[in-house]
Amino acid sequence: MDPTEHIINLDEIDHGIFRSLPFCHGYCVTCGLCSSSCPASGLDDFDPRKLVRMAGLGLKDELVNSKWPWVCTMCGKCEHVCPMGIHIPDLVRNIRGLRERDKVPGILQKGIEAAIKTGNNLGVPKEDFIFIAEDVADEIAEEPGFEGFKVPIDKKGANLLTTIHNKLVNTHTEDLKHWWKIFHAAKEDWTITSDNWEGTSWGLFTGDDESVKIMAGRIVEHMNRLEIKNLMWPE
Amino acid sequence: MLATYHDPCNYCRKAEKLFGHGFYNEPRWILDQCLDNWVDLYPTRENQLCCGGGGGALTTGYNDERIAYGKKKMDQIKATGAEMIIVPCHSCHGQLNNIKKEYGMKDLAVKYLWELVADCMILQF
Repeated sequence: MDPTEHIINLDEIDHGIFRSLPFCHGYCVTCGLCSSSCPASGLDDFDPRKLVRMAGLGLKDELVNSKWPWVCTMCGKCEHVCPMGIHIPDLVRNIRGLRERDKVPGILQKGIEAAIKTGNNLGVPKEDFIFIAEDVADEIAEEPGFEGFKVPIDKKGANLLTTIHNKLVNTHTEDLKHWWKIFHAAKEDWTITSDNWEGTSWGLFTGDDESVKIMAGRIVEHMNRLEIKNLMWPE
Repeated sequence: MLATYHDPCNYCRKAEKLFGHGFYNEPRWILDQCLDNWVDLYPTRENQLCCGGGGGALTTGYNDERIAYGKKKMDQIKATGAEMIIVPCHSCHGQLNNIKKEYGMKDLAVKYLWELVADCMILQF
């Protein structure tokens, strides 16, 4: 092993970025409860205790370029057992947010950009979405007890607005039916929207607060425009 | 058929921390209405193990890590002997369906909580 491999260049240490944020990682007592409780400990040598200590030491670039923050699912088990109340999942999300956007792994950034531009992660056009929704509604209407079933789209003054997960208009249209059938049976006055119906918000995963704000803002806008007081947002 | 239930991190630990209420009891009440025979996983509720599909893990492309992450979840399910797992989360549902074959559980039924409710409804004409 190269003995210089783990030498830290003091010029690269950056305390500022993490110190200014309220994660309290400076109070870590290095007890290791986080690592013991973490279901991801050991994957690619991931160790939440080390991650917290690296943040405390100011090893910003090493953390931002590491796979660790993306192997962690921010499940919160570490935080639940931490005796010092350190906000480890928030710290992880913040590290993710510091990565250059073109280096965000997988399809996350592509999905966010499509959502901002088109209203949903897959870029499904409005007419295709309406066709799929009405097609699924027709299938439901063929089942006993659901005769005449229709999907209410952009219904002003409805009691309940619900958002939709993009995979349910793509590969899992069967799974659109369960909630819609429950609404029918419960005689709920519900609706979906023809635009900006996306319920997922991948900025939550990539540490992108701006996109989260835009996605949530669109739902608020729907509720104001359609005068709806209740929201079901299962994503 | 014996069923079991998985608490998603976001509706439980994280909701409790962010909004002051974790949804532990509500889904269990629904399960009691729909099923005669279901058991909890161990550990459960606030100590529940993440399925490994959350936080965007299904979309990062780090699939080897994601599948390895899910082993503990699959071991939990196996230990109950359940043939069906109920989940109220899109990410957990996707992850469990995706990894079950990796752990010799391809016949495990993975159901949304609302799917269970829709399946159990008897409409009065």
